[in-house]
Amino acid sequence: MSEKLPALNAVDDGRNIDPRLGALLGEAAQQTPLATKHDTELHAKTFGNVPSRQSWTSPTYYDHPMLHQPVWVWSIPAYFYVGGVAGVGAMLGAAAQLVAPEAMQSLVIRSRWVAMVGGAMSSALLIYDLGRPERFLHMLRVFRVRSPMNMGSWILTGFSSAAGAAAILPFGPRLFRPLANVCGVVAGVLGLGLSGYTGVLLSQTAVPLWHRSYKITPLLFLASGTAAAASFFEFFPLNEREASAVQRFGLVGKIVELAATLALEANAGRVERVGRPLKQGFSGFLWNGAKVLTIASALLSLLPGKSRPKRVAEGILGSAASACLRFGIYYAGKASARDPRASFEQQRASVAESASVDVA
Amino acid sequence: MANGFFTDTSLCIGCKACEVACKQWNQLPDDGYHFTGMSYDNTLHLGASTWRHVSFIERPVALNGQDAGAFSWLMSSDVCKHCARAGCLENCPTGAIIRTEFGSVYVQPDICNGCGYCVAGCPFGVIDRSPDDGRAWKCTLCYDRQKDGMHPACAKACPTESIKFGEVEELKRVAKDRVEKLHQQGVTEAYLYGEDARSQPGTAGLNAFFLLLDRPEVYNLPPDPEVPTLKGSKSWISAGLAAIGVTALAFVSVVLGNRSEKESS
Ligand code: SF4
Ligand code: SF4
Repeated sequence: MSEKLPALNAVDDGRNIDPRLGALLGEAAQQTPLATKHDTELHAKTFGNVPSRQSWTSPTYYDHPMLHQPVWVWSIPAYFYVGGVAGVGAMLGAAAQLVAPEAMQSLVIRSRWVAMVGGAMSSALLIYDLGRPERFLHMLRVFRVRSPMNMGSWILTGFSSAAGAAAILPFGPRLFRPLANVCGVVAGVLGLGLSGYTGVLLSQTAVPLWHRSYKITPLLFLASGTAAAASFFEFFPLNEREASAVQRFGLVGKIVELAATLALEANAGRVERVGRPLKQGFSGFLWNGAKVLTIASALLSLLPGKSRPKRVAEGILGSAASACLRFGIYYAGKASARDPRASFEQQRASVAESASVDVA
Repeated sequence: MANGFFTDTSLCIGCKACEVACKQWNQLPDDGYHFTGMSYDNTLHLGASTWRHVSFIERPVALNGQDAGAFSWLMSSDVCKHCARAGCLENCPTGAIIRTEFGSVYVQPDICNGCGYCVAGCPFGVIDRSPDDGRAWKCTLCYDRQKDGMHPACAKACPTESIKFGEVEELKRVAKDRVEKLHQQGVTEAYLYGEDARSQPGTAGLNAFFLLLDRPEVYNLPPDPEVPTLKGSKSWISAGLAAIGVTALAFVSVVLGNRSEKESS
């Protein structure tokens, strides 16, 4: 026995398997051992609390998280923002193309380019988050209506193709023009899918804050996409008609965005622990910052005048608001997943809610 | 036919033989060696490299039918529940997660691209992404062993038969008898967790269910888990209505923008 020990230590891959005696054929043999260590800080922290001596009034498991928090990185909320701009922007472009193709020609063309570049950036941001990026095409292996991420992959693929064709085809022979216009409309319709499905994507998780907001998040994301797309177009030099359309589009978007933000917060706040990350910490800072920026940008749009500096200022405020909103709800969801009481209290509350409905 | 586990926590002695057997059979790497101070639990949580986890609960509360004073020590071996409606499976965009011929939920490592959506979709916090190459891992219900007609390693190793493996319908019968017997012996707090769709509508029942002696929260189990897809269609409808609204808004804005400038010019 003792002479075997050095051999085992030499193969210190955390499995204690001597390669001369055993083969690595198990289900998990492909995992790289040293990378899977737990977070030591968490342990040090909990040990400092003498966790076994918790009070027993409303027990949890040492307040250790019940869920794994979402493992996505910054590129996912960034994608929510970019996808929102590209998707809703394509819809505005499609409307302009159908209503006033001549008068709003530059808006139409710009919206197609924004959609094409935004679609490509969206794919890049999504692939960046994957554990195995080279397998991104596996997303299109199946067509699965139940999985919003699968639906989203199809929507994004269709949207990018249509937007790309709509942007590039006009450079080809005249014959291609009608085809480009069809693609522009298709991109507009799919663009709304792109901006809206991300709300479904978030709500279809076990994360208490996101799951509780299943009805509001799609609306919030589309409204925020509307505000963000309009804000982005404010950066371009547009003629008066275009600027007026963009401003009105954005103003309504901002108002609905603000209303949906407040509605989501009120609904989440009905279970204190669930709503808490929207009020506290970094996520609360982003979330409340988004509200302030939205209000500021909306007030600015209400002031008369369409001068360039004013439009750019509106654009900066509106874009920052939408970006803060996406990152805010992302980090707030993560925080609510780390809090076991958020899940517990939410589920107890919904049991009570449905029980009272049964009685009524 | 579906196979599953019945984990009877009233029998568990906290020896962690199941954890060790699982690590050994599946050749899972260690998680580092830590001291948490949470009773005898230094494993903490199920994860990519931990597919069985024994939790230890020190309660300042007596268990009915025992006379050890105001104290009881609960132990429970947690595992993937192989839910009848599994959040991980329904969310997976690549089809990497499948339902096997044994009724279990299995992640195919050669398909998974590490998108992490299953992690957010599991209402029990079971499946996790491994930090090395970001693929998702969890209990396979020993798919490889079952194919060869063997029982899962944890059930085989459990010295008290706290972990029972078998056909789910048969396990349910055993479990109900066991609850009745415990109640007769005075352990009136014993109850089954997730044994069928009636007791846990949100998941349509678990293929790996439990006998517990306190509220689920005490074991870090959700009291009323719900597969997230259950609210999916309502969420999509909301997205659809909002999309119609944005379309209308886009047309109105463009028409008004076009007209107002015509008038002023
Ligand atoms: S417990 Fe979680 S990981 Fe296991 S089958 Fe259910 S949803 Fe999937
Ligand atoms: S991480 Fe892998 S198993 Fe999990 S949902 Fe994504 S593709 Fe499916």
